[in-house]
Amino acid sequence: MDNRPLEYDYTIAKMFMLTTVLLGIVGMLVGVILAWQLAFPGVNLMLGEGLAEYTNFSRLRPLHTDAVIFGFTLSGIWATWYYVGQRVLKVSMAESKFLMFLGKLHFALYLLVVVAVVGSLLMGITTSKEYAEFEWPIDIAVVVVWVIWGMSIFGLIGIRREKSLYISIWYYIATFLGIAMLYLFNNMAIPTYFASGGIGAWYHSVSMYSGTNDALVQWWYGHNAVAFGFTVPIVAMIYYFLPKESGQAVYSYKLSLLAFWGLMFVYLWAGGHHLLFSTVPDWMQTMGSVFSVVLILPSWGSAINMLLTMKGEWQQVAASPLIKFMILASTFYMFSTLEGPIQAIKSVNALAHFTDWIVGHVHDGVLGWVAFMIMAALFHMAPRVFKREIYSKSLMNTQFWIQTLGVVLYFTSMWIAGITQGMMWRAHDEFGNLAYSFIDTVTVLHPYYTIRAVGGTLYLIGMFLFAYNMYKTMTSARRVDESELQTASPMGA
Amino acid sequence: MFHWLEKHPFFFAVAVFVTIAFAGLIEILPNFAQASQPVVGTKPYTTLELAGRHVYIKNSCNACHSQLIRPFKSETDRYGHYSLSGEYAYDRPFLWGSKRTGPDLMRVGNYRTTDWHENHMKDPAGVVPGSIMPAYRWMFKNMADIDTAYAEQVTVNKVFAVPYNAEIPMADGSKETVKLAATLEEAHADALEEAKAIAADMKDQDVKDAVAAGQIPEIVAIIAYLNSLK
Amino acid sequence: MNKTVLAAIIVVIAMLGATYLAVGSAGGMGGEGDWVNKLAVLGAVVLVIVTVFVVTKYVRQMQYDKASGKLADENWDGIGEYKNELPFGWAVIFLGLNIWAIWYFLAGYPVNAYSQIGEYNEEVAAHDAKFEEQHAGMDDETLKEMGGSIFIVQCAPCHGLQADGIEGKAANLNVRLEEKTVKHVINNGQGMLGYPAPMPDRNGLFNMNTGALITDAEIDAVAKYVAGGMKGTEGADVFAGTCAACHGVDGKGMEMVAPSVVDYNPTLVADVLKHGKKGAIGSMPAFNNLTEVQVKALGAYVTDLSK
Ligand code: HEC
Ligand code: HEC
Ligand code: HEC
Ligand code: HEM
Ligand code: HEM
Ligand SMILES: [Ca+2]
Ligand SMILES: [Ca+2]
Ligand SMILES: [Cu+2]
Repeated sequence: MDNRPLEYDYTIAKMFMLTTVLLGIVGMLVGVILAWQLAFPGVNLMLGEGLAEYTNFSRLRPLHTDAVIFGFTLSGIWATWYYVGQRVLKVSMAESKFLMFLGKLHFALYLLVVVAVVGSLLMGITTSKEYAEFEWPIDIAVVVVWVIWGMSIFGLIGIRREKSLYISIWYYIATFLGIAMLYLFNNMAIPTYFASGGIGAWYHSVSMYSGTNDALVQWWYGHNAVAFGFTVPIVAMIYYFLPKESGQAVYSYKLSLLAFWGLMFVYLWAGGHHLLFSTVPDWMQTMGSVFSVVLILPSWGSAINMLLTMKGEWQQVAASPLIKFMILASTFYMFSTLEGPIQAIKSVNALAHFTDWIVGHVHDGVLGWVAFMIMAALFHMAPRVFKREIYSKSLMNTQFWIQTLGVVLYFTSMWIAGITQGMMWRAHDEFGNLAYSFIDTVTVLHPYYTIRAVGGTLYLIGMFLFAYNMYKTMTSARRVDESELQTASPMGA
Repeated sequence: MFHWLEKHPFFFAVAVFVTIAFAGLIEILPNFAQASQPVVGTKPYTTLELAGRHVYIKNSCNACHSQLIRPFKSETDRYGHYSLSGEYAYDRPFLWGSKRTGPDLMRVGNYRTTDWHENHMKDPAGVVPGSIMPAYRWMFKNMADIDTAYAEQVTVNKVFAVPYNAEIPMADGSKETVKLAATLEEAHADALEEAKAIAADMKDQDVKDAVAAGQIPEIVAIIAYLNSLK
Repeated sequence: MNKTVLAAIIVVIAMLGATYLAVGSAGGMGGEGDWVNKLAVLGAVVLVIVTVFVVTKYVRQMQYDKASGKLADENWDGIGEYKNELPFGWAVIFLGLNIWAIWYFLAGYPVNAYSQIGEYNEEVAAHDAKFEEQHAGMDDETLKEMGGSIFIVQCAPCHGLQADGIEGKAANLNVRLEEKTVKHVINNGQGMLGYPAPMPDRNGLFNMNTGALITDAEIDAVAKYVAGGMKGTEGADVFAGTCAACHGVDGKGMEMVAPSVVDYNPTLVADVLKHGKKGAIGSMPAFNNLTEVQVKALGAYVTDLSK
């Protein structure tokens, strides 16, 4: 191996960094709109009666979830892959024209899919399955994009110099395989236009599965889409960026190993917790419940491994907003992976299912863990791909505190809302009749919906600060040279 | 062994795949073996009802409404008998939802009526003060897509043997048949007949005029669907 | 005390306080001993305490401990890896949970030993048993009160909280009949409440006084008369000549013949609930899932409304 430092090629990483920021803002802006709509339904008409079809809550909700999952998060996953992959495999994209071409194709096709998705969801073209709303033509495009990414992963691995795979790579591989399997099975559908000999909308399809079976496949997918979209690749990120930024060695290989294989093994079994008290067989529900509880440990394994990596390094946590983001991310990871199993206990789920407590759980995971980690990753990458220091450390600090407050407001309000609503639904009065009409259980939530909307707005403001900071970093921050980029990221005041 | 896998990416990937696929098989296959059998009284959707179901999906009503009554006293008091697997036999996709911002709709056809839905979809808060459900006024203007509904009927009949034009046992011992039209024109005519019955109970003049002129607004289709939920 | 631990305790207290506020106001809702409610709250409490204190433990290690251990040979992009042992607590709990899961599945609660429908049946039986006695001996006042609370849940979505029919969207139950309803029934007849013979439409309604079919003017008059609670004289003769035969001279109806048109009574309400109602205003579905007491209670409540 030669001694000259490798020149990594970050072209593709930069492209996906751009979409991470943009789609993050779009997706969360829509989320904030949704939040205000639930607090003040008048917001459904924000662009007037004429456009209400496109701006009302129900049309926008899938746009929010898909924009933040397949826009923001996935872009973040790819931006970091095209950065981390090269570095831990010790091979530059520039070494293979083919891989560069694949990368660019990957990005270009991805953009096309994004445009198609936004258009079709606004039009109301959806299959209704959560996180799998796209109709078959888009599904096919998604599969193509996914295969290209797979070729890119294994292509890069094929020409690697580092013989053994770093932990992050394990997780990226698992992300690729997991989603591939899940997505394919859950989206099996028959296009009605062709099956009926050319009648009706060409893009319409009907699911291969019906009723309870369809639900089972959907939540096998839905649960594991969370696993392989919101957990596995984000863990890949923290295993690279935290040790790298702090200069500390990973605390324990054994723990990494057990946490990884434990997660792989246990996660898939837990999907039943989305179907508790439904019409799927009892034993499957019990299985989902039991495995969810076991799942705490592999999840906490990674989080603890990261916290222990920072052993004795409190001064870094105190000084660096970048590390704060990651430490808080692991904390929220622990929080939501304890909350999930608690909600998966049958009797708790009897109350929590269908309520806002679930939405609270979702968002302490995605805001506190996923989005924090992705932003931290981008902050770490920025000086290295733009060769400039991070524009403003104080802005970063401000962002950190605003967003932390936002998350806390979000999940505490939803937590209270969910438990309150769950209890009201169940309540019987002194005569043994239902105590509350449904609308009573809706109006009581108004204050909590308002608090959530405020929390969400704060988080969105943080996103704008983030975008501004990134933009300034890219265009006008102080230039730095290689020697400043070994560990802690250089930051302006 | 693990260390070896970490140096051999192909086998590593295979190991990961086997680990995750295994659980999937156990979780999903057993239920498929006993595929959803319809319970007595479960009928396939008519063309108009199916068109209404598409309107429901198009507008993501399932974002706020579940269609799954869990076996708790508090739920059966509110919504009726708990859900049975077989009742969903013709639901492609299933529409259980995962969030009840609004009430469950699995059996809403039992306790709400056409005129109520008309008022409610036009102005929910006007009927239920404090409602946060959006108004769906464009449904009174947009026309339902009967073609696609018919295409779907033909498809499920052909591919999944959904029993159209066949006798279906009802709870009271009688038999009913749900018709699958032979041609698209016939399907339109049948749907229009159904639509007329619904429009007769409605007040909106534009809707009545449209149906009289042979068109079917989305609101009529979705009410047909909601009424069918029993 | 250490600042971190203090902060942790404050966080926990704040979160528990928030939970208490939520449960404090919603707490009575579950009724005594609803363990689902209790378990959910307990879960929320455990969640906060465990997370905060476990994280605090590691934060303290960041503050006071030192990284140590044997480094592995490999190194990726400058990232090293210690060959430390598993954290003891983690390893023990992981192992324990695995054993617990296997036990739970195979021995503790064998997968075939539980049925959610069985549990539901027990819940319903317990609920019914709890209220059986109370429901058996209810006086009119209590029935009314009970009816009111059922009304809010089941009927208010159509009839409104004030039972005023929300500006004509359903029947206004504070008055027995509105003019347009009476006219509608006379013009079209009606037969859905389960009487042996339906009420004929205007082509079957003879005015004994005139010996001819009822006329438009007579319909107007009698409709006003009935809707006005059968007060005054205008229309009274038409009623006597045409309607009294079935509805009685006083309009209070006759058993097995026709319902009262001057007031609501429990039988009428029960008939409406059993059969539903379709008329000038719109249609009301039948409510067959209500229990006998509930129907009685609604009858008492609705009867009372228009008094
Ligand atoms: C923002 C959430 C939201 C969306 C989206 C939504 N609803 Fe609702 N819905 C509610 C709420 C809250 C209620 C209860 C208050 C009320 O009756 O208006 C409700 C009540 C209902 C009811 C009455 C059920 C009952 O038992 O009283 C029906 C029927 C209904 N919605 C149908 C629909 C349909 C059809 C759509 C989609 C086209 C839809 N809803 C979209 C929130 C929503
Ligand atoms: C042949 C017997 C008969 C005659 C005559 C008759 N009714 Fe009736 N009426 C009935 C019956 C039976 C019902 C209940 C119909 C049902 O089952 O829905 C009824 C129902 C009604 C109702 C509806 C009550 C409700 O709450 O739904 C009104 C109003 C009414 N009658 C008014 C009149 C008036 C006014 C006249 C005279 C012009 C009249 N009826 C003459 C038999 C009669
Ligand atoms: C889906 C809407 C809806 C619901 C729910 C509903 N109603 Fe009604 N109800 C109506 C309408 C519409 C009418 C008027 C029918 C007509 O045009 O005469 C009516 C009429 C009535 C009448 C008067 C019948 C008569 O003869 O004048 C009574 C009594 C009544 N409802 C009681 C109840 C009770 C008690 C409940 C609850 C258990 C209830 N309703 C629930 C819609 C509803
Ligand atoms: C140990 C890990 C976890 C377990 C056992 C778990 C369990 C659960 C349970 C029981 C539900 C509620 C199902 C319902 O009643 O509707 C749920 C929902 C959800 N969780 Fe988790 N969770 C875990 C971790 C996470 C993490 C880390 C995230 C995201 C970062 C996450 C995201 C979600 C989402 C998005 C939903 C909503 C699904 C829907 O649309 O209904 N979960 N989870
Ligand atoms: C500014 C920040 C955000 C706000 C204000 C916000 C708001 C919302 C709202 C109002 C809902 C609908 C809840 C309901 O139906 O009751 C929702 C759902 C959801 N959001 Fe967000 N969101 C934000 C950011 C994010 C991010 C960053 C992600 C993922 C990375 C995300 C993922 C989801 C998911 C998965 C759901 C569906 C939850 C479920 O079905 O249970 N959100 N969000
Ligand atoms: Ca799809
Ligand atoms: Ca959901
Ligand atoms: Cu899950």
